[in-house]
Amino acid sequence: MERDLKIILFLCNWSPHAAYQALQDTLAPLPREIRMVRIPCSGRITKSLLFKAFETGADGVALVGCEPGTCRYGIGTSVAERNVEDTRGILELLGLGRERLGFAAFYPDQPDALLDFLVNFRNRVAELGKTPVVPAIAEVQSGASEGNAASIMATHNIYTCQDCGKCSSACPVALSGKPFSPRAIANAVASGELESPAVKEDIWSCLTCGLCYDRCPSAVSFPEFVRDMRNAGKNSANGRFEAHEGFFQSLMRTMTSPGLPVRHWDWLPEDVQTDAGSKILFFGGCSPYFDTFFRNHLGVRTTDILADALRLLNFFDINPAIMPNERCCGHDLLWSGDRDNFLKLARLNVELISSMGIEEVVTACPECYRAFSRDYPEHGIEPGFKVTHIFELAEREISKGAVGFKKSGRKITFQDPCRLSRTKEGCELPRNLISRLKVRAFTEMQDRGLSSLCCGNCAWTGCDSFSKAMQVKRLRQAKETGSDLLLTACPKCQIHLKCAMEDPLLGEEIRMEIMDLTSVLAKNIQWE
Amino acid sequence: MDRNSTEKSKLEILITGFGGQGIVLAGQVLGMAASLLDHKESTLTQSYGPEARGGACSAQVIIADSTIHFPYVRNPDILVCMSQAGYDKYADLLRQNGVVLYDLDMVRPPEITADSFPIPATRIAEELGRKMMANIVMLGFVTAVTGAASVEAMIKSVCDSVPSGTEDANTAAFNKGYEFGMAVLKARRKKAAAAKGGEP
Repeated sequence: MERDLKIILFLCNWSPHAAYQALQDTLAPLPREIRMVRIPCSGRITKSLLFKAFETGADGVALVGCEPGTCRYGIGTSVAERNVEDTRGILELLGLGRERLGFAAFYPDQPDALLDFLVNFRNRVAELGKTPVVPAIAEVQSGASEGNAASIMATHNIYTCQDCGKCSSACPVALSGKPFSPRAIANAVASGELESPAVKEDIWSCLTCGLCYDRCPSAVSFPEFVRDMRNAGKNSANGRFEAHEGFFQSLMRTMTSPGLPVRHWDWLPEDVQTDAGSKILFFGGCSPYFDTFFRNHLGVRTTDILADALRLLNFFDINPAIMPNERCCGHDLLWSGDRDNFLKLARLNVELISSMGIEEVVTACPECYRAFSRDYPEHGIEPGFKVTHIFELAEREISKGAVGFKKSGRKITFQDPCRLSRTKEGCELPRNLISRLKVRAFTEMQDRGLSSLCCGNCAWTGCDSFSKAMQVKRLRQAKETGSDLLLTACPKCQIHLKCAMEDPLLGEEIRMEIMDLTSVLAKNIQWE
Repeated sequence: MDRNSTEKSKLEILITGFGGQGIVLAGQVLGMAASLLDHKESTLTQSYGPEARGGACSAQVIIADSTIHFPYVRNPDILVCMSQAGYDKYADLLRQNGVVLYDLDMVRPPEITADSFPIPATRIAEELGRKMMANIVMLGFVTAVTGAASVEAMIKSVCDSVPSGTEDANTAAFNKGYEFGMAVLKARRKKAAAAKGGEP
């Protein structure tokens, strides 16, 4: 059993490696389960690299660096400490336990201390046992074959493209200045140039926001075409199109392990009421992971959306069930070219939710909403329960009457989430709710509703300077409305727009308070 | 006393409004639900004439568990007002501890001493597509707030009384009024609980 343990040791080239060599020279009894990887600096091991080891089946990972003052690069050790803390937070949420990730710093002349640390760490991991993670690596496919591409094109009406260019003139990516054109990809694929850069790279630049589909006179469903091309030609050998070095893809794949004892809701504030026996389930989404991952960078608090959504339900006397072992809905895996693992997650989710006897699933995330209500059935997985967006439920309850909102002096504007706003109903739903708020002013941005601009990224792929340009453009539009509060309806809109606000050169010009519509509803609603 | 016990089992309801709002029909629906479907005793008297041309008209419904000896409403327990004139004319007759239910867009009561429940019935009916269903919305509201007749009986009675082909629309209007009433009651409970909890 112990022999089977897999422990990865990331060992800094400098101080601790000298200590390690001393141990090797003296034939010290190093635990044989430990596999050492020599690295240039502990600060260069990102969260995604630390986590990748767990995704691929490591039982423990130790990161060993230099004592803070002796880091050859100055800040390496302090960066490593932050990365370790954030990754431990993720491990905690997944139920793997924070102790599976060890961190220590040594001087070159401390071989005995290093040995103690390694032996103790090995023993601790042995106590924790084997990891429940079953590695679920995306299958590497060489690329889309001719026949495969032909069937994808037929499915999404690519042959009906009239080459009119309306898609490119509306595409936010093209308008941000990137040499990118939806119809150019369509043309390239139609003429069999599957290996051309236009296809291999540009399919990863697409936001899949759906604006081109809205504008297309021939109803070419370009976003879904791109989605299927990504799935057919997954180029996972180099993950260079994945944002945050593929951390979130790793996270989602890890969650396909059925035995993972996820602890999704441990952070929930005590005032929130839930009822394990309820027929209504609140499905939160990945906000706890986002908040943990971005804690030291953006200070985002997207878990507030989940707590406020639950408070809003409580206000209507609905105490929903929550799944302690809730997983990702899989939306981003599907849209970043890993359909196999999306399907695993989808089946697992439907199985878990059905076993709880749930009749209705309520969610505040537009991506979870789309995945459950549309992507699951389209992939042959029938949920068997009703899927409701929190806005639908709020509209239903508020229209019964006797409910009002507190007066507020805020001037607001609204950022549509792509996964909700590409239908007329999806645009009206949040606006109906906003019209009930008693705010000082509600001013629409230049691009809004069906024509609204994406927050700049989708499915954690293709983030670059053009994405930033798009986000800055969007924030300028928001500023132009004269509003002091930007309402969003998707945790990712918040993350991406807040990231753009970190720009040191633009500073106050684009800085603005952001809050989710769900939170504003929950904070201001009252009985009349 | 004997008199008190008969008083308790008797509910006098006065519905007032303009001629043409369906006041009499509302009274009829309520009375039929109580008598034919809930198997109680009920009477309906109506006052129309010059009022039918747009003045204050009224329908007087009495619902009781035992025989009703006198069919006119003298002091209503429940006053339903769908017009200002109706309110002005009948408000003084309201029994002590009686309740007033009124359309808040049609009636602006000067000062209400009695327990009152406003509802935008006409607005709700307009939102549903037919202004003329305001009376049915109001009936839903009355059912929720006063419990004068059972919900099932009321819906059946509504469907039996409206022109054929409009049953679904009228049922929807009734449900809307009923839901509004339930929401208002819930809001009052919540506010009372909050006041007890010492919230400002």
